[in-house]
This record gives sequence, C-alpha cells and structure tokens, in this order.
Amino acid sequence: MSGTVSGTGSVTPEELLSAADQLLTGPVPGIGALWPRICALLIRLALEMTLDRFWTRALPAAVGCGMRQQLLLLPLYTTDLPTAPGLAREAWLGLAGAAHHHAYELGPTAAELRTWHTEVTALASLLSA
Amino acid sequence: MEERERSVAEILIGRLSDDNVPDQVAALILDAMHGNAPEAGVEKGEPAAAPGRVYLKSIAVEGFRGIGRKATLFLTPGPGLTVVTGRNGSGKSSFAEAAELALTGENKRWAERSAVWKEGWRNLHAPDPTAISVQLTEDGVPGTTTVTRAWAANAVLESANDSVWTGATELSLAAKGWLRPLELYRPFLSYAELGALVSGKPTSMHDAMQAILGLDLLTATEKTLTEARRTADGESKAAKQELPALLAKLAAHPDDRARLARKALEGKPWDLATLQALAVGDGAAIDERIGLLRQITAITLPAAQDVSTAVTRLSAARSAVAALAGTRAADARRLAGLLSAALEHQRAHVGEPCPVCGGRSLDEAWAVAAATSVEELTAQAAGADAAHTEQAAALRALTEMVPPKPAVLRADFGEEVDPAAASAAWDAWHVSASAETFDTLLDAVTLLQGVAAQAIRKRAEAWQPVAAHLAVWVQLAVKEQAATVLAKDLNKAVEWLRAVAKEVRNERLVPFARTSAEVWETLRQESNVELGPITLAGAGPMRKVTLDVTIAGVPGAALSVMSQGELHALGLALFLPRATAADSPFGFVVIDDPVQAMDPAKVDGLARVLSSVALSRQVIVFTHDDRLPAALRQLQLPATVLAVTRRERSIVTIRPVSNPVKRYLEEAQVLAKTDALSEGVRAVAVAGLCRGAIEAACVDVVRARFLGAGVPHAEVERLLDRASHSVQEMVALALFGDTRQAGDVPRRLKELGGQACMNAFWDAKTGVHDPRHGDLGRFISDTERLTKALRQ
Repeated sequence: MSGTVSGTGSVTPEELLSAADQLLTGPVPGIGALWPRICALLIRLALEMTLDRFWTRALPAAVGCGMRQQLLLLPLYTTDLPTAPGLAREAWLGLAGAAHHHAYELGPTAAELRTWHTEVTALASLLSA
Repeated sequence: MEERERSVAEILIGRLSDDNVPDQVAALILDAMHGNAPEAGVEKGEPAAAPGRVYLKSIAVEGFRGIGRKATLFLTPGPGLTVVTGRNGSGKSSFAEAAELALTGENKRWAERSAVWKEGWRNLHAPDPTAISVQLTEDGVPGTTTVTRAWAANAVLESANDSVWTGATELSLAAKGWLRPLELYRPFLSYAELGALVSGKPTSMHDAMQAILGLDLLTATEKTLTEARRTADGESKAAKQELPALLAKLAAHPDDRARLARKALEGKPWDLATLQALAVGDGAAIDERIGLLRQITAITLPAAQDVSTAVTRLSAARSAVAALAGTRAADARRLAGLLSAALEHQRAHVGEPCPVCGGRSLDEAWAVAAATSVEELTAQAAGADAAHTEQAAALRALTEMVPPKPAVLRADFGEEVDPAAASAAWDAWHVSASAETFDTLLDAVTLLQGVAAQAIRKRAEAWQPVAAHLAVWVQLAVKEQAATVLAKDLNKAVEWLRAVAKEVRNERLVPFARTSAEVWETLRQESNVELGPITLAGAGPMRKVTLDVTIAGVPGAALSVMSQGELHALGLALFLPRATAADSPFGFVVIDDPVQAMDPAKVDGLARVLSSVALSRQVIVFTHDDRLPAALRQLQLPATVLAVTRRERSIVTIRPVSNPVKRYLEEAQVLAKTDALSEGVRAVAVAGLCRGAIEAACVDVVRARFLGAGVPHAEVERLLDRASHSVQEMVALALFGDTRQAGDVPRRLKELGGQACMNAFWDAKTGVHDPRHGDLGRFISDTERLTKALRQ
C-alpha cells in the first residue's frame, strides 16, 4: 500500500483492531447496517499499518511498496517468525476482497471477520515483538 | 460450456444425413425449418463469426410506450450490476422493451398478444417522433455501435426504419453476426416469460422453456409440420366423410349410372376413372336404357310426300293391269303363232280347204284378215306384260322406302316408354304398304319419339345434381390420395424430429442443469424445494417440462406445489445459465421485473445471484419496488441503482440512487459522526473510505475510457489490477490513461478542481497511515468534489 512513513503515529493497529472488535461484538450506535464493511476496513487498515510499522524498522524501502511485494518480502525478513507470512497472506486475501472496490462479492459474514481479526491480531502481536 | 454450441439448424441438418431420412421426408423438414428461420442460414448451417463481447452503454427512447420526450438511460459498459427502479408506470419497462425490440425486432411481452395490445406502443403524449436506440461497446472495436429503430408518423410497429452504425460504418445486425447469438443466448428476460413458466398450460411451459434454451426453431418446425399434417389428415378424410351422403343420393337415384357409381365405390381403391366418366359424360355409353332411348329418337322414316308419290305410281300400275282384265297375253301370243303358221301354209296351198277344220277354203281374203289378227294379238300380249312389270316395280319401290322394323321397338321399357303401338303399325305397314298404313306408322313413331326424348331429358335433369355431387367428390378423392401419401411422410417427419429434438434438448439441458442447480441453491433461501434434473418430455399436445423436484424431502412432487415466487426463481435459475453462457458474445443481461412474486428471503437470494453474475457480466435489472435495492444495501452488495420517475406528459427522468463512489462517501459521512469510535479510528477509517471513493471513481472512468477505445475487457481489468496498489497510480490511469504519469497527478488535480481537490487526494492517500484530525466533514466533501472532477 502507498503511504508515508508514519510520523505522529497517533493511531495504533491495536486501536483499530479494538474498534473492529467493538463492531463485531455488539451494535455500535450510528453505524447500523454498515458495520461489516467498516469492520473489514478497520481490520484491513490495521494489517496495512502493522506491516508499515514492521517495515519502518526492518526495511524502510519496503514501506511504499504494494501489498503483493510486501507479502513476497515478508518471509525473507521473518525467518524467526515462520507463521507470520502465512497469517498476513490469509488475512489479506479475505480483506482485499471484502473491503476493496473490486469486490463484487457477498458482504463478509461475522465469522469471516472474526477469522481475519484473529489473524491480524496475531500478526500484529508477532511483528511488534 | 467450453465449446461453441452447434446451432439447432446445424444439428438437425447433420442428423438428417446421418439418419438416412428419406428424401421427401427430409425435404418436408427442411422446408418447415426454412420457413421458421429465414435468416438463420439454414441451408448453409454455418455459424456466424464470433464477435467480441458486447456491453450496453445507453438506451435512448423517444415517443415510445411510457416515454414521451427523449430519455436516455446511461449505463456503465462492463461487468457490474445496475438496478433500474421505478414505480409501476414510471417508464422503466419501456427501456427494457426498447432494448429488446431494438436488438431483436420483437418483444416477448408483446409477441403473443392481440393487435389491441400492440397498438399502445406509441407514446400517448408524444407519438411523434418515435425512435428507440441502443448504444453498445464491443471488445476490440473502438467507438460505440448504435442500433436505432425509428418510425414514421403513421408507420406500424413492424415497419420501422432500422440502422446500425459503428462509428461511421453502417452494418446490419446480421452482418455483425448478432442475429443468431441473439436468438441463441437471448440476453433479455421479461416478467411475462418468467410467468409463462407458471401460469401457462404444461405445453406453453414447455415452449417457454424451449425458448429459454434457444430451441425455438425446434418447436416452430415441429409446429409447422404438425399443422401441415393436420391439414393433410383432414384432406385424407374429407372424401371418406362425404361418402355416406353421396351413397344415399346414389341409392335414391333410379338411373343405371347411380348403380354403376355405387359399384365403383364398393371396392378399395375406388374406381375413380369410372366415377369421373359417370360424372362428366352424357351417360349413353354407360347406361343401356339411355342408349335404347337414343336409338328410338334416332329412327328416321321417309318423307310423307315421297311415300305418297310411290303410292300413286302403284295405283296407276294396278289400274293398267285391271284394264287388261279378260285378255290373256299367253293365249294371244299362242293364237298369233297358230295364225302365223296357217298363213305360211296358205301361201303354199292357196285356195285349198283348211287342213284343221276341212271347211272354208283358205283364200286371199282369209289371208289378209289373218295377218291383221296376228298383228293385233302380238300387240295385245306385249301390253299385258308391260302393265304387270310396272305394277311389280311400283310395289317394290314403295316397300323399300321404309326400313325393316328396328329391334329397339321390341325392347321392354316398362312404364317409361311403350313402343307397342309403333311396333304394331310397323308390322301393319309391312303387311300392307299403303298411304294409310304409312300414316299410321308415321304417327305412331313420331309419338313414340316424343315420349323417348322426354324420358331422356327427365333422366338428364335428375342426374345432373348427382353428377355435380359426384364430380366434387371425385376431386376430394383425388386430393385424398395425394394427402394420404403426404400425411404419411409428414408423420415420419414429425416422429423423426421429435426423437432428435428430445436428444438435442436434454443434451442442451445438461450444462445448464448444474448452473441452474447452483442458482437455485442461492435463490431458494428458506424454500424446502430441492431441484434435481430437468427434462423436457412428451411430444405434441402432451409435451411438458419435467423437473425432478423434491419438496421437504418428498421426491417427485408436482410443480403446482411450488409457490409463484418459487416458480419465478426457478425460471430465473433456468434463464441465467443460458444468457451468460461462456460463448455468448453478449456481456449484458437485461431482466425485467424478476422480483414481483418473490418473498423477502428469495429477494436476498436474488440479490446474491445477480451480484455473482455481475462479477463477469453487465447485469441490468428493472424492478418496480425497492426490495431488490434494499436487499443489495442490506447485504452490502455493490450495485448502481437508478430511479426512473415519470412526470406528467410522459416526461421521464433518471437519477442515480447510489453508486459505489457515492456509497463510500455516504459510509464515510456515517462513520465521521460515530462518536462510539475513537477520533483516531474514525480519522483512519474515513480516510480509507475516501480513498475507496476515489478509487471507485477511477475504476468507472478507466473502464469507460478504455472500453470505449476498444480495449478488451480483460485487458482493462488487468490495468486496473496493476494500478490498484496505489491510489496515485489509479488516479494517473484515470486522468492520463497511463500510470507512468503518476507524478503529474497533484498538479493536474489542482488544475481540475483547485487546492481542495488536491488536499483531499493527499489526505486520502496518506491519512490511512497518518491520520489528520481536522474537519472530517470537509475532507469528505472535498473528496466528493474530487470524484466529480475525475469523472468530468
């Protein structure tokens, strides 16, 4: 994903994941029927942000790269975290479909959202360690 | 379907030669087929060239159906779902009908309606000008293709002026190779067609299904053949049906011809030659009685004048003979001989006494007297001979004037004619030929001939109507012989066609059955109906659709158990696989009002089905209520929803209800006001949605731009996919058609929409990672301005 190096960093992936969890667990006033898409968006942004932060530390040059390049690079820089690339790939596959404009797919179900949420939470935890 | 389907015509022609169908039967089938598919290239059986995939760009309607002033429905060419909503009578269906009519020249909803129904095709408020046109884009063809049908002020529906233009090139639909695919894939489905599956008779359900499967040609050909067979059957029975009446008439008729006609009708085959002769001849050659009567009328007798002359001659001869009464010619001749001998003796013995009597001496005085006596006696004998000869000649002449009595006078005519008097008169004449007996004969014969002529006339008068009837019947019988042969051939043709049709049909059903089952699985929702194999069974009036339907676990259930909505869903499940067949050149599907009878759960299913079809096809759905758009909103399925409204005077307007761009912005607005989420989360999420809105706008612009330039759809999707990792590259693709000009994006955006636009772009691009805690509302409105600038 495009983006600049996060300078102020006033929002963390954990915050985004927590908000997504809030949407998943109970009704949020004002969101109404929009919640699955917003939830998917928040998880996706959390994934992007998690990777951005990782690359800022591991390989600053990768920060501006597209997600496909990032996913190709990830295994090379996480040899000590063998499960991380798989988590990232799985989550991205679902989230890109659920929240992207290309997605003429059915809206995500709560179960799908929960799976992605768990995957991204695990990834964020692994990569921030 | 991986391979291009062979057309029905191709399959039939192939099978005709494979199956060794007799020539005359094959000719009947080909004739019937040709009559039903004049444009389908039946003789050649060649497929049309496969054109590039075609998408709808706009449908323009003017003065047609519910639309008065020209209204244009703009569509985004390429895959995606467009729902056109409008209340009943808003004119939305007019667009669907116009598209179908413009491209196929007919409309299924009207096709089977009466003339009265068809009369309403012109708009009441603005009947002139009347024109419909469809703009399409074709893969690999730059520019757009416009198909127009326009009508002159008084023209009837069928006499439109059609034109098809691609850029500056005019090509007919046939030349574009679209006619056959339009028939085969039928990318139009109307509510009426869905309904025909349900409300109609089993046969019309079968036919509708055939139509959906593109097997119209089979049905139409079979129909033509069975109708021809019915006509031939009728003709082959007409003579038989008319026979009892004819026989009754003949039995009641006294004429010998009637008897002969009945005899000719006894055997099989009928003796048509004799019957024909009886019907047209005068009957003399066939009926003995008429021959005899004609013999009577043919009798000729001499003229009374000639007979009278002959009678006079005879009486004169008789008078001459009577005058010789007492004189005997033989005596006179013998006496003359004696005297002649005595005279000779006297010349030698003059004066001597008579040697016979010894008395008087034979002197000169005696000799003179004796010579005179010899002369007198000789003349007397000659006169008597002549009178007798003349009498005999006169009598012979008279008798020969009248021929011998004709045999016909001895015949028995019953009461009709009595020749006895004439016969007796003839006999009397022969006994005594006289003026009297001739007069009697002439009178008797003349009277008889009058009666005979009358009898002939009467018979002719009585026979005439029978003869006419017979002549008509003979024609029927001649036709019947030809019709019987034809009916047999037609029967073979129908049987063969039905057998082949059954195979073709069920073969064609296989690839669809799977997809149908999938569609049904999505559509059925709470329905407890399970769909098994589908077959088209039976023939002629017994033809029907057999669906292996399991309801609540009970197999073999009747279709009637299904609800209207279920049947409509089923219709759709059958339609979609065909219209979206892989080898169809048409990338669009137009569906008019599929929602009507469906319950809410099924509408959800429909929304999912249409969305999944919209992944690879341009799906345009017309619907009169908002349940489908509502289902799409609820399920968060991407769709462009357009609302058609019709004001007074048939002025129709169309406005977008929401499109992906708008939806992102609406969602962003909702999110911006959601206090339940932290400010930071809201800022990041709003930036993400604004980025989504910009990207969605780019997708629209890029698709329109590249597809319009003739770039194949797959290539456009590839370009979009490659640019999708960077919003800046997406915008570059939209603005310049080239991602390498990404660096020029900010400058160009500033030119197009000012500083606010450029700010919105930067915020959307970076805000997801580095959120700005400024005015989110303004960020969203600036983004909206940006998306508008992009789409200019």
